[in-house]
Amino acid sequence: MSKNFKNTSINRQIASIHLTAKIWQTVVAVLGVTFGVSMYIFMNSFMNGVNSAQDSLAFSTLGHVRVYNDDHTNPYDPAKVIASSENTILHLRNKKAIQYTEGIKNTSQIISILEKRPEVTGIAPQLNFSVFFRSGSKKLNGTISGVDVEGEDRLFGIGDKVVSGEWEDLSFQKTGIVLGKVLAEKLSVGIDDPVNVLTSDGNSRNFTVVGTVETSVRAADASKAYVNIASARQIEGENYDYTSDIQINIRDRNATEAFIREIDAAIPYQTESWQTANQQLVAASELRNIIAMAVSLTILLVAGFGIYNIMNMTINEKIKEIAILKAMGFSGKDVRNIFLMQAFIIGIIGGLTGLLLGFGISSLVHRIPFRIAGFDTLPIVYQSIDFILAVVFGIVTTILAGYLPSRKASRIDPVVIIRG
Amino acid sequence: MEKNDKKTALSVKNLIKYFYDPQTFQVIKGVSFDVEKGEFLSIVGKSGSGKSTLLYVLSTMDTDYEGSLAINGKQLTGANQNQLAAFRNEHIGFVFQFHYLLPEFTALQNVMLPAMKLGKLSPGEVEQKAYDSLKLLDLPDQAMKKTSKLSGGQQQRVAIARALINSPSIIMGDEPTGNLDSKNSQAVQEIFHNLTREFGQTIICVTHDPDFAENTDRTIEMADGLILS
Repeated sequence: MSKNFKNTSINRQIASIHLTAKIWQTVVAVLGVTFGVSMYIFMNSFMNGVNSAQDSLAFSTLGHVRVYNDDHTNPYDPAKVIASSENTILHLRNKKAIQYTEGIKNTSQIISILEKRPEVTGIAPQLNFSVFFRSGSKKLNGTISGVDVEGEDRLFGIGDKVVSGEWEDLSFQKTGIVLGKVLAEKLSVGIDDPVNVLTSDGNSRNFTVVGTVETSVRAADASKAYVNIASARQIEGENYDYTSDIQINIRDRNATEAFIREIDAAIPYQTESWQTANQQLVAASELRNIIAMAVSLTILLVAGFGIYNIMNMTINEKIKEIAILKAMGFSGKDVRNIFLMQAFIIGIIGGLTGLLLGFGISSLVHRIPFRIAGFDTLPIVYQSIDFILAVVFGIVTTILAGYLPSRKASRIDPVVIIRG
Repeated sequence: MEKNDKKTALSVKNLIKYFYDPQTFQVIKGVSFDVEKGEFLSIVGKSGSGKSTLLYVLSTMDTDYEGSLAINGKQLTGANQNQLAAFRNEHIGFVFQFHYLLPEFTALQNVMLPAMKLGKLSPGEVEQKAYDSLKLLDLPDQAMKKTSKLSGGQQQRVAIARALINSPSIIMGDEPTGNLDSKNSQAVQEIFHNLTREFGQTIICVTHDPDFAENTDRTIEMADGLILS
C-alpha cells in the first residue's frame, strides 16, 4: 500500500514538473478544453433558453393536455350494417351526417375526475366559437373564448398580458369583454366602449370592453376576444355545464403521454397532448438540441486533437528521459500513468475553467437585447445536467486524447533509445 | 536469494544474441563469464564487437537473447518487464556516455528519482541521502540548480550520484567518460575506484579508452561477438 502510494506520488511529481516546465504549451492544451467545455455549456444553455421560450409561447394559449369532443371519430354507417351482402344494390339519396353530440355537456363531472389526480396543477374550461365583431359599420370575424376567469389566468398568465383595463373585471361583469389589442384598434374601440357580437347561429349581443390584451402572437391579437364562460354559454344557447375544450396543466409537461394513458379510460372524450398538437415545436426543439450537441462536441473533438498533438510532441521530445526512467526502474505502467496524469490534470483544469467561462459567456449573452415576439433579451436557461456533462465530456476527451500517446510512451524500448 | 556462491555478483552462461534488422546477424556468439563482488571490470573492443550489446543484456533492459543471466544469484532470464524494472531500480545503477538527466528537474530531484521510485525511505530521508551523494561527488552547491544549467562534467557526476542513490550492488557504465575531458574523466575513474574499495560495489564499464581500461581490476576484450582473453 505505502509503496504504491509513494510510486503514485513520484509519478505525480514528474507529471507536474512536465506540466509546469513548458507552461505555455500546457496553457494552450488547457484552453482547448476550456473553449470546448464553455461552448458546450453556452450552446446548450442558449438552446434550452430558445426551447423554453418557444414552449412558453405555445403554452400561453394551450394547456399541456386538451380534452375535447371530436364528432368525426365514429365510423358507424347503418346502411352498411343493414345491407352487408355484396349482392345487394344500395341506393341512398341525399345522405347527410347527423351531429349527435357537440362539445362537452358534463364539464363539472370531468373536472371532478381530473381534480383527483395529484399531477394536475391547473384546469381551465373553455367555450370557443367563431363570431362577427361589430362596431358601428365595421364588421370583423374572429373567435370568442368563454373562459373561467381565474383558471385561465392561473394556466396561461393571461392577466399579465392585459395592457389596458383589468382581467378580473370579467368575473363579475357578465357583459364585459376583453379584446385582442389589434382587434380593438381595428374596431376603434377603447375601455367602456360597446361591441356587438354576432354568432353563426344568428344570436347577437352587446358587450362592454373591459380590457385589451397583447400576447406574443399577433394573429391571435387581431381576432381573439375573451368573455366570461357563463355569458358565452348564454349567447351560444348551451346549458350551464357546457364547454368545448378543457385545458389541463400537469406537473411535468413532458409526461403527457403517461397521463393521457391513465385518464383516457375515465373520460369519454378525446384527449390530446401539446406534443401531438404542436409537432413542429417538438421537432424544432429536438433539432436545436442536435445542433447544439454537434457544435459543442466538434469543438471538444478539435480540442482533443490538439491535446493529442501536444502530448505526442512532448513524448517525442522526452523520449530519452522516458528511456532513462525505464532504465532506472520505472515500469511501462508508471510511464503511462505519468502522461495520463498530465492529460487528466489538463482535463480537470480545462473543465473547471470552461465551466466558469461557459457561465460567463451565457450570462453576457443573456443581457443582449432582443426585442422580438415577446423577448426582452436573448433567452438562456441553465440546467445543472449541461454543466455536469460538459465537464465529463471535457475530461473524457482529454483522457482519450492522452491515452494513445501515453501508451506509446509506455512501450518505448530503452535499449533502442539509449544506444541511439 | 543469494544461496549460490556469495562472491559472484553477476554470471552469464552461453549468451547468444541476434540482430534481425536489416538482416539476421549473430552479434554475440556464446559468451560466458562471472563477475565477482567488488570487482571493477571493463569491457573493451572495437566498434561492432558486441561489447555494448553485451552490456545492455547484462543490464536486463534487453531481454531478447539466448542463454542465461543471473545477478546476485537470482536468475533473471525469463522474468517479465515489470519484474526486471523493479529489479533494476533496486540493484543496478547506470551511467551512460550522455548523462540522460531530466533537464527540467534540479540536480537533487534527479538524484532522488530512483529512491523515490523504490519507496523504501521517506522523502525526507531520500533528500538527505541524495544530498550526501552529491556531496560525495563534490557537487553540494549545485543541488538546487536545474541540470540543464550544469557543465558536462558536473552533469556526469550528477548522473553518477543518481546511479548510487539506491546503493545498487552493480553499477553499469556505457562509455561513462566518453564525453568528458581528461580531467573530468580522471575524476570519474577515481570515484569508481573508491566505490569498489570503500563500499564493495561491483562496476562493469564498456569503454574505448585504453587508459580507463588500464585502471580497472580486470578487462574483457571482445571481438566479433566472442571474448578474446
